[in-house]
Amino acid sequence: MTTLHIVRQSAFTSDDFAQCLQVLRNNDVIVFIDDGCYNLHHSLINTIDSAAEIQLKVIEKHAKARAVTIDETQYSVINMSNLVELTLTTNRVITWQ
Amino acid sequence: MTQPLPKLTAILNSKAPYSSTAGKDALDIALIFGSFEQPTSLFFQGDGVWQLSQGQDGTIISVKDYLKTFAAFEFYDLENIYVCQQSLIQRGLTADFHIEQVQVLAQKEFAEKLAIHHTVLRF
Repeated sequence: MTTLHIVRQSAFTSDDFAQCLQVLRNNDVIVFIDDGCYNLHHSLINTIDSAAEIQLKVIEKHAKARAVTIDETQYSVINMSNLVELTLTTNRVITWQ
Repeated sequence: MTQPLPKLTAILNSKAPYSSTAGKDALDIALIFGSFEQPTSLFFQGDGVWQLSQGQDGTIISVKDYLKTFAAFEFYDLENIYVCQQSLIQRGLTADFHIEQVQVLAQKEFAEKLAIHHTVLRF
């Protein structure tokens, strides 16, 4: 069962993202949206085990609006309709806000 | 046609009581699911673990104390109650809860238990 984690809060102000990482499972997908984009450069990102093959995605407009640079080798850039599609291609969704 | 496996619902509590309605809202949803006999489990993570501490009394701060309603869980068949051990340790809490049947799980088991639920509602 793959889970889509929608992360909407900055880990610099709340531990929602840290709690998300605690329940992360192999092949899950994380989408950073709204203030979640501030997590792109948070140290918690480095704690994600690369072997777990977690897909990291970010809503392009939300990051660009916040002047958050996107390292496209680490994050794939998506838009809102891709997000809707993801809710269908994963088994369930948890929103961390 | 064999009876399809019922969908498991998880209610994930992450907020402390009193200062927000998150805990009360989660409780209401849990009781509703319970009264419709939907298999439901309760999870407590982060500040959500404060909701289980023994000896709380909302009336002191003139807040309606919804925590007392936790005692009704067994009548609603809400028997699967899981607490994140790491969250307890971080907050210097012991497993001294105001309800019975609470299972304290290490992070890995907590994640695995949550993963078997089809729907997760986070408060």
